[in-house]
Amino acid sequence: MFFKLISRNSRRSRKENGLLFSSLLISIIAFYIILALPCQDVMIFLKKMESDAINRLMDIISVFYALALFILFFLIYYASRFQLERRGHEFGVYLMMGMRRVKLFALLLAEDFGNSVLSLAVGLPVAVLLSELVSLVTARLVGIGIVGHQVSFSLHAVLWTAAGFLLIKLAAFLLLSSRISQQEIGSLLAETPEGTKRQLPSLCYRAASLAGILCLALAYSLAIRGDAWWDIRVMALAVLLGLFGTFSLFWGLGFLIGLAARRGKRDRRLHVFNFRQIQETVTRRSNTLALCSLLILAALCCFGAGTAIFRSYGDPGQHVLDYTFPVSESADGPDVIRRTLSDHGLDTCFSHLFEMKTGHVQTTDGTRDVFQMELVMDTLEKMEPSEDRDVLLNNLQYATCPYVISLGSYNQLLAAAGLPGLELSSGEAAVYMDMDFSTPGRIDLMNEILNTCPEAVLDGNPLSLTGAVQTTNLVTDRSITLSFALILPDEAFEHYTRGNYSVYLDAVLTGEAAGDAGLMSAISEMNRKLNETGLSYESYLQNMGRQLFYQVAAGYITIYLAIIFLIIANTVIGVQFLMGQQKSGRRYRILSRLGASYKTLCHSARKQISWYFGIPIGVASFSSLFGIRSLLTGILSARAKGDLPEMMMVSAAMIFVLCVIECIYVEAVKRSSDRCLLSLMPPQREE
Amino acid sequence: MEPVLEIESLKKYYGKSGSRTKALDGITFQVMPGEFLGIMGSSGSGKSTLLNCIATVIRPGSGSIKINGRPVQSLKGAELAGYRGKKIGYLFQSFELLDNLTGYENILLPLSLHNVPEKESRERLEQLAGYLEIQDVLHKFPVQMSGGQKQRVAAARALILNPEIILADEPTGALDSRNAKTLMNKLSGLNADSGATILMVTHDCNAASYCRRILFIQDGTLFHELRRNFPEESRQDFYGRILRIMAQTGGGSANVL
Repeated sequence: MFFKLISRNSRRSRKENGLLFSSLLISIIAFYIILALPCQDVMIFLKKMESDAINRLMDIISVFYALALFILFFLIYYASRFQLERRGHEFGVYLMMGMRRVKLFALLLAEDFGNSVLSLAVGLPVAVLLSELVSLVTARLVGIGIVGHQVSFSLHAVLWTAAGFLLIKLAAFLLLSSRISQQEIGSLLAETPEGTKRQLPSLCYRAASLAGILCLALAYSLAIRGDAWWDIRVMALAVLLGLFGTFSLFWGLGFLIGLAARRGKRDRRLHVFNFRQIQETVTRRSNTLALCSLLILAALCCFGAGTAIFRSYGDPGQHVLDYTFPVSESADGPDVIRRTLSDHGLDTCFSHLFEMKTGHVQTTDGTRDVFQMELVMDTLEKMEPSEDRDVLLNNLQYATCPYVISLGSYNQLLAAAGLPGLELSSGEAAVYMDMDFSTPGRIDLMNEILNTCPEAVLDGNPLSLTGAVQTTNLVTDRSITLSFALILPDEAFEHYTRGNYSVYLDAVLTGEAAGDAGLMSAISEMNRKLNETGLSYESYLQNMGRQLFYQVAAGYITIYLAIIFLIIANTVIGVQFLMGQQKSGRRYRILSRLGASYKTLCHSARKQISWYFGIPIGVASFSSLFGIRSLLTGILSARAKGDLPEMMMVSAAMIFVLCVIECIYVEAVKRSSDRCLLSLMPPQREE
Repeated sequence: MEPVLEIESLKKYYGKSGSRTKALDGITFQVMPGEFLGIMGSSGSGKSTLLNCIATVIRPGSGSIKINGRPVQSLKGAELAGYRGKKIGYLFQSFELLDNLTGYENILLPLSLHNVPEKESRERLEQLAGYLEIQDVLHKFPVQMSGGQKQRVAAARALILNPEIILADEPTGALDSRNAKTLMNKLSGLNADSGATILMVTHDCNAASYCRRILFIQDGTLFHELRRNFPEESRQDFYGRILRIMAQTGGGSANVL
């Protein structure tokens, strides 16, 4: 009998509070996926190249896991408290019938444990499958290829997920059951109507909402101006203003909703009732709602900014070269490297193998004012003022001793990239600027000036700058970049460098070598072969690995956090609404007796849910526009900042996607509400 | 004159054949327009079941209920909701005001439920508020009102759509004697002055003495009827007659019939 009671009660809890049950499932899935991250193909792959960074990421992940456990503990505590409070009468009856408190405790513990085990039994297989899917999809997306796919199942992750989940459930349960055990039977048996909150004069609420709006406006302006990133005090002020503003706004919001109830079109069906219901819940639960709104804001910022950052790292720029072999002057000349490659039968794997020569002007001892381009600077100064122009002016004034590049080797690079070669006569030079230091806007400005073939002076000799700005990367290693360089015809290059220059042997894999398995696996394979030759080299893969690391780190962590925040906020709002609805069940019964049909009641509750979710989501969405912009201006690199409007669009799209997810969630709560209303109807109700 | 409410052979049984409870066992009566009818009986006699059947909260087993000649059982969906809101006004023992709405908003709630423009009933609301002396509490929440005020606000809500009949379920049950008296004076005034038809279930003899006719119900059947000889018979005398019947019913129907 006792076990039957346990299983029946557990089933009823799951049915009545399906929302919490599904949230628990999602949190189990989230726990497992983050814990099983080291077993994902991308991570295994990255570990080979960026093991230090990956290890650091794993350390951060365990901190995130602990943090998520901590936050989810409160969610479980909060939702379970409501569930147990609702059953207070039932517990009172058990005790009245002579059930001992120890047995009641055992009953509740068994119910809780049963539900937890069921959640794990359902959640873990789903989590393992999802993790597998994520592993395959990411591997495919980044081009590692799925041939070397390893099953991402991790027993360690399963155990930690189960342990963490059971631990927080148990902790919440112990705290709650101690509360119940201390209550008198009488107070358990008594219906617990929701306590009325003491009402202050409406002026207080009016002042609070106004203060909230002002504080938020101030916080927004601090955030959007970017001042906050310069000084920790300004940042702290912006955050504090934002927090205070949100709490204050929600505290005073009841007043505004009351106004809407009085001023709105009263003739609409149950308009006043709906607004009074919303007003009551918002006033009563203003702090929780404000907190939920902040959590949603955090989730939106994580998603929005995370995706934009993910995209900015994810843009690998141009890809021409697969390998660069640095040629040290002492040992390996270019010919030695070529010979070594052909000795190992690897020369046929490359479609292009050429020398890239760069160096400094050696015809003078001085390193200052070797190069002057006053005409360029003058033209630039006369141009319409813009941020790009100012940055360019600032950067170019330091270009007094630029690198020079040999035209012959650069043309070979262009040929490898499938671009037409440059033609320069003596006394002419082309400008090279790396994209890492520039933006399309700055390149356009520069091209506009170069169209006029301005005269410059290199080591006292006149030089005509011609052609478009060149931006093709000279070597694979993205840590070697040139902000400004001159491409000189080969004779001039030899003359100015006096034969003292650096040489890199650049290589491009043939189509067959790259194969179908994806470039990543092709390069991995080639790396293995090259390691046998003992040659030092830099591959495109290492750079990609670095990019990928940032992508994966930013992607996983931001999305993970966003999901956790969203789960908590939505569950709290949803559970809170449904519990409130349950408690105000009497009102719905009165309405039904006054002639409101079940449909009318559902419609009314649905409207309330839309508002109840809409208010915190609306505030959060509005705030997130400023929050994301602030995050993007503070975190993004100079190059990525050029695309700020585009990034904002990406973020806006992400926010939209999240809003769609919210809509689905809201719909689920609405359905639960419909079911809840049906159960509230008088049992003898017949239509 | 056509009756407002006609109940014919109304039956409602609970339980299966072995342990059947006959809550209503073939009740027949009529309520004429402008009548103030009381239904009295001890606990479990079936009076609340009768009221719930009329209010369409429960469906009777057999028999018919007609309002203005129209059978209530045949109503479905929107018509049924319309019947509940417009044809009948319900006055509950525990007032059943929505505690998060002001008195004014509570009274207007039926309008909002049945899509009746507020303008149309504003005059009626002012009349009712004036008559029931609740102007001062119109903008207060129920928690700020006394029991009597709450019940009078509830009465205004029941009357706002000018229903054919008011069903009052122990309206004085939760009131002290002073407030109960005020309420009954107002209800009987409404009946006398505006011709409101009222069907009141009660076991308070004092409240019942305001009625013109009282039906006594026991074990699901009508077993006695009292009519007040109005205006010759004073309320006090009528009260005495009711008390006598009630004293007899205390010993069961064997002592009466």
